[in-house]
Amino acid sequence: MHLTDEQLNEYLDNETAERAVIEAHLASCGECAARLFTLQALFADLGSLPEVNLSTDLAARFTPSRSLTPQLPRWLTLTATLQAAAALLLATLAAPFAAQMLEPYSSMYTMPSPADILTELQFNFFTWTRSFGSISLPEFPPNPFALPAEITPAILAVGMTSMLLAWAFSNWWLLHKKSNRLA
Amino acid sequence: MNTPTDRDLLLRARRGETEAYGELVTRYQTGVFNVCYRILHNRSDAEDLAQETFIRAYDRLYTFDLEREFSPWIRRVAANLCLNYLEAQKPVAELDEDRDEDKTQSPGEQVEVKERSEQIRTALASLPPHYRVVVELRHYQDLSYDEIANELEIPLSDVKSHLFRARKLLAEKLHAPD
Ligand SMILES: [Zn+2]
Repeated sequence: MHLTDEQLNEYLDNETAERAVIEAHLASCGECAARLFTLQALFADLGSLPEVNLSTDLAARFTPSRSLTPQLPRWLTLTATLQAAAALLLATLAAPFAAQMLEPYSSMYTMPSPADILTELQFNFFTWTRSFGSISLPEFPPNPFALPAEITPAILAVGMTSMLLAWAFSNWWLLHKKSNRLA
Repeated sequence: MNTPTDRDLLLRARRGETEAYGELVTRYQTGVFNVCYRILHNRSDAEDLAQETFIRAYDRLYTFDLEREFSPWIRRVAANLCLNYLEAQKPVAELDEDRDEDKTQSPGEQVEVKERSEQIRTALASLPPHYRVVVELRHYQDLSYDEIANELEIPLSDVKSHLFRARKLLAEKLHAPD
């Protein structure tokens, strides 16, 4: 009895438990050996197929390159450049007049020196830190909705567990929606 | 500088770093494209499906098990996607068999000797979609019969019959005495 196609295929795929039996038959039967050879030639053909190169880069879509950032229309970039140039020109022309107009006021105000500024900052910092020493919260009138006078470990545990559950649930909900979006 | 592992890139991609995913695409796009090209035997369809594979995978990144390897996984996704694609347009493909032909060679060359690899691709393209995908998973992705059955959600007996019949048809086309 000759080997079946199934036996030959499974033999080449390493999916058979009867290798020894098959090999024994192949050694003694030229016909089955020839059939095996044809299959092996097909395997070799399939294995010889070369890889083909892509003509586009599929990663471009996932790389925020310059080409993907929205380009401003040409007329807009041009107007913006012209406006900037005009503003610079106007500022240069107006500078002498502005200086003349501001002159009377500038004499009334003197710029503090860096040392003055530092002393001022230091002083403020000390006053601020000292005020922490005598901090006290204002007294509130009794609140009908106030928390129980004593927060027991049981109350604390219940509160924290429910917050944890709410947090876990809302995260699951958000991620669940996201992963299903295009599935 | 160390090149980041696939796992690093996947973690970063999950945190929303699109560029990290882009790096993974760069690494595996040729492999994925070749899966699609072997099954579809049409360049532009294969490029579209390869792109689609990466987009689908990106949207399902949260469900991907980081302990598994990315490359085999994405190649299996591609094979499945190509099968769905072929099944969806089956009636058209049958009427329009020549459309699959890749016109990269000059007409003269095509008539004379088709390269061996082109003959193999044409033979593959002549198989029914399910056969093509089983051949792809067995010969090019090295999946076992069981793994193929799981991947395509078909019985083991179907895996075997598809694969063995596919090989018989291929052998007839490629080793026909002429
Ligand atoms: Zn025999």
